[in-house]
Amino acid sequence: MNAAVLSVSRGIARVTGAALGPYQTAVIRIGFSATWLLFLLRELPHRDELYGPDGPWSHELAEQLTADNGAFTALMWSDGRAWFEIVYALAVLSSVLLLLGWRTRTMSVLFMVGVLSLQNRSVFMGDGGDNVIHLMSIYLVLTRCSQVWSLDARRARRAAEARARGERVTDRVGPVLWCAGGFLLLTVVLAGGLDGDWFVPALLWAVWVALGLWWVVERGAEGGQPRILLDVVTNIVHNGALVVIMAEACLIYATAGWYKIQGSRWQDGTAVYYPLQLDYFSPWPALSDLLAASGTMVMLITYGTVAVQVAFPFTLFNRRVKNVLLAVMMTEHAVIAVTLGLPFFSLAMIAADAVFLPTSFLRRLGGWAARVRGRLSGRGPAAAPAGAPAGSGAGRPATVPGPRGEEDGGPAGAGAADGKGPEHTHVGFRA
Amino acid sequence: MDAYDKGSGARRGQDGPAGPDGPDGAVDSTETGGSAGIAEAIGSAEVTGSAEVTGSAGSSVAAEGPAQASGADGADGADGADGADGADGADGAAEGAVATAPEEAGPAVEGAAAQPPAPRTGVAALSPRYQVGAVVALAVVAVAVCAHIGLVFLHVAPSNTLTKQHGSVVDEWVFPEFEQNWKLFAPNPLQQNVSVQVRAEVSTAGGEIRTTGWYDLSAEDGRAIDGNPLPSHTQQNELRRAWDFFVASHDSEDRPVGLRGALSETYLRRIALLRLDRHDAAGPGGVVERVQYRSRTTNVKPPPWSGEKVSDRPTLRELPWWSVAAETGGADAGRAGREGGAA
Repeated sequence: MNAAVLSVSRGIARVTGAALGPYQTAVIRIGFSATWLLFLLRELPHRDELYGPDGPWSHELAEQLTADNGAFTALMWSDGRAWFEIVYALAVLSSVLLLLGWRTRTMSVLFMVGVLSLQNRSVFMGDGGDNVIHLMSIYLVLTRCSQVWSLDARRARRAAEARARGERVTDRVGPVLWCAGGFLLLTVVLAGGLDGDWFVPALLWAVWVALGLWWVVERGAEGGQPRILLDVVTNIVHNGALVVIMAEACLIYATAGWYKIQGSRWQDGTAVYYPLQLDYFSPWPALSDLLAASGTMVMLITYGTVAVQVAFPFTLFNRRVKNVLLAVMMTEHAVIAVTLGLPFFSLAMIAADAVFLPTSFLRRLGGWAARVRGRLSGRGPAAAPAGAPAGSGAGRPATVPGPRGEEDGGPAGAGAADGKGPEHTHVGFRA
Repeated sequence: MDAYDKGSGARRGQDGPAGPDGPDGAVDSTETGGSAGIAEAIGSAEVTGSAEVTGSAGSSVAAEGPAQASGADGADGADGADGADGADGADGAAEGAVATAPEEAGPAVEGAAAQPPAPRTGVAALSPRYQVGAVVALAVVAVAVCAHIGLVFLHVAPSNTLTKQHGSVVDEWVFPEFEQNWKLFAPNPLQQNVSVQVRAEVSTAGGEIRTTGWYDLSAEDGRAIDGNPLPSHTQQNELRRAWDFFVASHDSEDRPVGLRGALSETYLRRIALLRLDRHDAAGPGGVVERVQYRSRTTNVKPPPWSGEKVSDRPTLRELPWWSVAAETGGADAGRAGREGGAA
């Protein structure tokens, strides 16, 4: 009984005290924004046909469908070319800035607006990859995904250093962004641009209010109660969103796996052969033929795929097995990217998988990336601040494994820095 | 988590006034795995503090750290070992930490204690009044997370007892933004190549009516995808999904079902015009008056090792001729408008 109470209180302390999985949330932030950015750049020549006002799925058609289902898209606010170009450019820009982790919370909102605007404008252009990015762009808004590997983390660290030297740190960009955001939001609401489904408008307002609250409590005393409460609530929301992201990834695999089990082709071991023979999914026919040449090989891959997809959610209870399956699934998606000609779908899935990567691996990856960057920029490893993994600034080796053996989404950050517009750094480190 | 919280406090200490070299040997010696274990020990001790809700928000960590570490009871000791366990793959030094975590915690914390304390986080740092707020937030988020996951689960699950009774609740929440479909190549992968073709009736500059040959749009897509490492959605999804959309929103007699049926026809007409225009099917001075679609569905040949036989005769589906006056008229009007604007 006592032990139960103790473990519950420990659990509460854990989910309120820190935004868990700082490396995992950072890596999916980078993964999804990079996937969407690369997609937008690749489709730059085709953007009109996909989402433009004169594309085959015309503005009028989109208007009728969104009026019916209430989906959010800023592209319905005007059928002008200029507006379309602005939205597309903003979608590209917000992806870049989210990737870098600049004003991350605000950028994650803009990123979501860009993703939903384009995808909901032309729903019949998308595939599974778009679907993943669509969902994750919403979930990302609720996370503190810039605790590491971001410009925000660097800014927070520098601000803390400046404060330690007794300097005053004032943030001007945050309030400006906040005011601009509020003005835009109000304008759109008054113009009737958010009259569809209630969810996205509610989310936009909630984030805006939360950012305002942060700015207010930031001005209060360090360690003040309202500030700590806000920090706690932000941590809770982050941790909840992280659970949802992980559950979503599990649902994707479980659905894909369990439905496959019911299919006769997955049962007789030939399923993998067929997509490779479809004109729309065989960019390299010779490669497809090679893969399809051996019946035994096809059968093994077919059964293996189902087994891995069905098993994955359960392996989360065992760290080692989970990591093996993670590697298998990432490899399979990399292969799918090439053989089925689905690079962006595969990238999105790999990004989703990355939320399950162990902290120790991610930190090693970060250290490695920082070294490469340092070498590329011709400076020493000491001068690799922004992308550097935890502790490089504090003289701590980057290869320290996660503190707990059982669970990766681990501990680590104390919510030192997050994407809040207004500055707040109460713990002088990020990671 | 707390482990790193404390770890961070120590690290911050190193960065503090004492200089980056670290205040003393105790911290240095716990640089690797060992420090994680120790930090965990402290962390769990601190959690006990929070469970007791001492309301010690204002008091400094420096002061209570050692006190809590020494006051660690049996459970805490076990926890400390637990934490060190997690780290013990790191190096041999961690082994020592396992055995002596509580003792070593003392010096490590003192190292940190020499520095200004880090503010506490989490519910433990809140006064009882604010803790109520935190607990409410926790409950709300917990319920929301469970509800969301549950509803999305019911959305992706097959039709079942619950969705038959409460399907509208699920749809209400999931649509439009959380809609998802993960039946990827399931239950069975598509085993047919659907080739969508289109032809047009063109009124030429000379005033005659001419019917073009069939353009195999799917084959064009296929050629664009061949050898392309980054196929565009316009090649891979546009026509393919437009055709799926048409099939799904029409009955077997090709009659549209609901709003979506009508939308899908307009969509296909506009795709036809776009693609025909690329081929300049209307010729100089000609105008496309009507278009006709047909689909040619061929079974994928079963793999050679399976011994299965399927018919290799394609199935044809021919749609009626559709007038595109509304679309071309609109386009013409638009063009005229632009030209007028330019002039």
